[in-house]
Amino acid sequence: MSETLDLARQALAAAGSDDALATVTRERSTLLRFARSRPTQATSVDDTTIEIAALHEGHVGRAATNRTDRDALAQCARTARLAAEAAAGAGERGHFPGFPAPAPVRTHHGYDTTTARLDPTTGGDALRAAFEVAERAGVEIGGAWTAGEVDTAIASSTGVELSDRVTDCFMKTIATAASGRTGYAAQAGVATSSIDARAIAQQAADKALLPGDPVALEPGEHNVVFEPHAVAELLWTLAETAFDGLAHAEGRGALTGRLGTRVVSPAINLSDSARFGSTLPRAFDAEGVPKAPLPLVQDGVAHRVVHDTRSAAILGGATASTGHALVAGGQASRPRPANFVMAGGGAADETELCAPIERGIYVTRLWYTNVVRAPETLFTAVTRDGTFLIEDGRVTRPVADMRITDSALGILARVQALGSRSVLTADGEFYGRRFATGSVCPALRADGVRFSGSAAAS
Amino acid sequence: MREVLAKLMDSAAGHAEYADARHVRLRHEAVAMRNGELDELDSHEEEGFGVRVQVGGRWGFAAAAGSDASSAEEALARALAVADAQPVAATRRLAPEQLTEGRYASPADIDPFAIPLEDKLELLTAADTALRAQPGVTVALAYVESRVEEKVFASTGGALYEQRTVECGGGIEATAVRDGDSQSRSYPASHSGGIAQAGWEHVEALDLVANAPRVAEEAVALLDAPPCPQGRTTLVLAGEQLGLQIHESVGHAVELDRMLGYEASYAGTSWVPADGIGTLRYGSEAMSITADATLPRGLGSFRWDDEGVPGQKLAIVREGVLQGVLSSRESAAEIGLARSGGCARGEGFARQPIVRMTNVSLDPGDGGSLDELLAGIDRGVYIDTNRSWSIDSRRLHFQFGGQAAWEIVDGRLGRLLRDPVYAGVTPQFWASLDAVCSAQEWRLTSLTDCGKGEPGQMARVSHGGAPARFRDVEVGSA
Repeated sequence: MSETLDLARQALAAAGSDDALATVTRERSTLLRFARSRPTQATSVDDTTIEIAALHEGHVGRAATNRTDRDALAQCARTARLAAEAAAGAGERGHFPGFPAPAPVRTHHGYDTTTARLDPTTGGDALRAAFEVAERAGVEIGGAWTAGEVDTAIASSTGVELSDRVTDCFMKTIATAASGRTGYAAQAGVATSSIDARAIAQQAADKALLPGDPVALEPGEHNVVFEPHAVAELLWTLAETAFDGLAHAEGRGALTGRLGTRVVSPAINLSDSARFGSTLPRAFDAEGVPKAPLPLVQDGVAHRVVHDTRSAAILGGATASTGHALVAGGQASRPRPANFVMAGGGAADETELCAPIERGIYVTRLWYTNVVRAPETLFTAVTRDGTFLIEDGRVTRPVADMRITDSALGILARVQALGSRSVLTADGEFYGRRFATGSVCPALRADGVRFSGSAAAS
Repeated sequence: MREVLAKLMDSAAGHAEYADARHVRLRHEAVAMRNGELDELDSHEEEGFGVRVQVGGRWGFAAAAGSDASSAEEALARALAVADAQPVAATRRLAPEQLTEGRYASPADIDPFAIPLEDKLELLTAADTALRAQPGVTVALAYVESRVEEKVFASTGGALYEQRTVECGGGIEATAVRDGDSQSRSYPASHSGGIAQAGWEHVEALDLVANAPRVAEEAVALLDAPPCPQGRTTLVLAGEQLGLQIHESVGHAVELDRMLGYEASYAGTSWVPADGIGTLRYGSEAMSITADATLPRGLGSFRWDDEGVPGQKLAIVREGVLQGVLSSRESAAEIGLARSGGCARGEGFARQPIVRMTNVSLDPGDGGSLDELLAGIDRGVYIDTNRSWSIDSRRLHFQFGGQAAWEIVDGRLGRLLRDPVYAGVTPQFWASLDAVCSAQEWRLTSLTDCGKGEPGQMARVSHGGAPARFRDVEVGSA
């Protein structure tokens, strides 16, 4: 038995006869940052969180601690129970139907023993390799290399006893040329061996060094080739606005009343698949519901949104959790996809995607993406670190960064072609407890993307 | 704990050019009611060590849970190992500082953790009920949070201090949904409500229940409100929206680590050059910005930062000209500042200190009351609550959206307008500031989710401001 599962059992035992679910998450991680072609910060984390969710008359109270002693577990359980009881005493019966029953969980490929050793010299070597490439290319680079192991266990009063270990690794580089232009490249994977620091640095440098003065384009509609990093931003916008089962149940979702109808181009096929070959897998959600492939959009038709136990109960009928709880009890965090997989298309690569465009924009990534109007999936974001002009079917020179304000569903409805290769993209942000997620998606070409302004230096 | 950290620093001194360590014990509680049902009741406690070293010009930081000496020593060993694994770099000089010993506790009249949970739920139930009393409200949300952080810090430079801060606050939000449209109104702000470094007396003063009917009514009214008209006009910003404007276009832009390129890989850089201090025109003469870590009730207030540097009150912009920046000991030394601005903070125990905002505020002006400020406007728009925000990686080009706007006609607030957005370029926008209300209109707003750093860390900060008038701004409807 894993140490985390043993601890989860102890935590559940501390809850006594309560209807409860105990989660133990241990994170071990290393992150090395660099800027201006030298190391700047390095962080090593080893911490364990024990969370107990207690259910009383349909209300869930939660308490968490990072102390693992018996007294701490007892206190944690008591706090959770008192919270649930207080909530029940404050009003009517809650609607949380109960923690899920055990269900078979399948194994996955998301653990690498070498990565789990977290040898910091692996990261140090990656930095050295990237610095060498940058020096030869004549650019300065900044970025981060990180690897982590997360061990999660759940034990519940309904009989769930699960544990799951995952590893992940991520490296990104932003190269800055003497001109001030920047370029971005990144890779993510389950294992440190999947990260090619030299290739990342070279790709970023190549983008920064594309010759020519940046052209400032007028706002308006442009044909665009989005790299996978930018496509992933569109998908995360949809996670928040379209696929959130709670918003859907409350009539606020962008797909409310639209399931079963065509919402994007017939070329779009999108699922949430936690065991897909190149994703960052996980076996179950925060309530112990097994992960299973979920078709979200097929041939442009919206099929499903994601649910946790709570949002499924609110929607009612035959709706069940789809295994997308981020928190047991499904409260502060709403259900979200964590493993988008978007099928590729027929274009060999980004070069081929550019070929039909007489004049358009090539976008490497989007920055500070934020929802403006959720029901329309309207978002705004700024292009960054590799925005180029496409002329007569090929990338010719840099474009001053621009602001996009458009509908994510609308852009996907105007998709003309998809790249054949879907790649794992991740952001490597890791706020709070490490929870590595990523989207597997291709580059794409879309017509009529709405740019609301230029971010040219003023 | 002071002894544990003092011994740890003795041990670190034999291995590192510099070291510091902090032990943090955090208690946080969040309670929320949503549509008559408990939405969130989270109680979280954690404690641990964060140890930072500099070895051969390379920084290493390690975090370990616990409170005993062995956990601290284990963290030190890992910090040394990650520092040593990196490529060798030139030693990073730190700005000099007279480091001392001391104790501090932030003022709080009523301990928020002494308030029975039942009382908190009663308050939230009343607010939730009042929100739902308005026909057309689909989602009602009422929430409070309480937080206590106890920190002990030591460094090889001789600092040894303890400080305890208490924060709490809350808010309400109503959402109306009809025919695929969704509109929300919040009080006192859309981002975590109103949180202050204060006791439960702050929550009581918010009077969530009394504000619920107005908030609910406005949410429903927005469904039928006309869109905010497109065009260049006079814009008055107040409350949270003004705070966020300051936060995004000034606060982040004057973080010295960004200005020097050390956040290029994530948060971004800045349009503000380090050699612009004293000369760079940031805005109009009506614009004066102060960063104040000593401000009562501010979430960015502390006695010492996480490098042991005392919290300070810094002039950032005076009459439109850049006068100062937000700095740490390392970044201050790099540009030759006499001392750090005392802005190094790390989240909890498991994140290393980086340059973070203290309370960055727009100084009050001489514009009088809000009514007096509006009196000078023939046509314009007033926005006080944020819905969306986006700014480029140099903090130059921005677009903000408000939950609601009010038209200004002939010097008075008029109709409610839906989906307002405005956009601008930082120095031009601040150059268009022509008046700020006087001190009686000055208020603090709070942000609890300012993300920066890798691995990501959230900072909590407050911004002060009085309603401010900007001329000839591009405004429209989302």
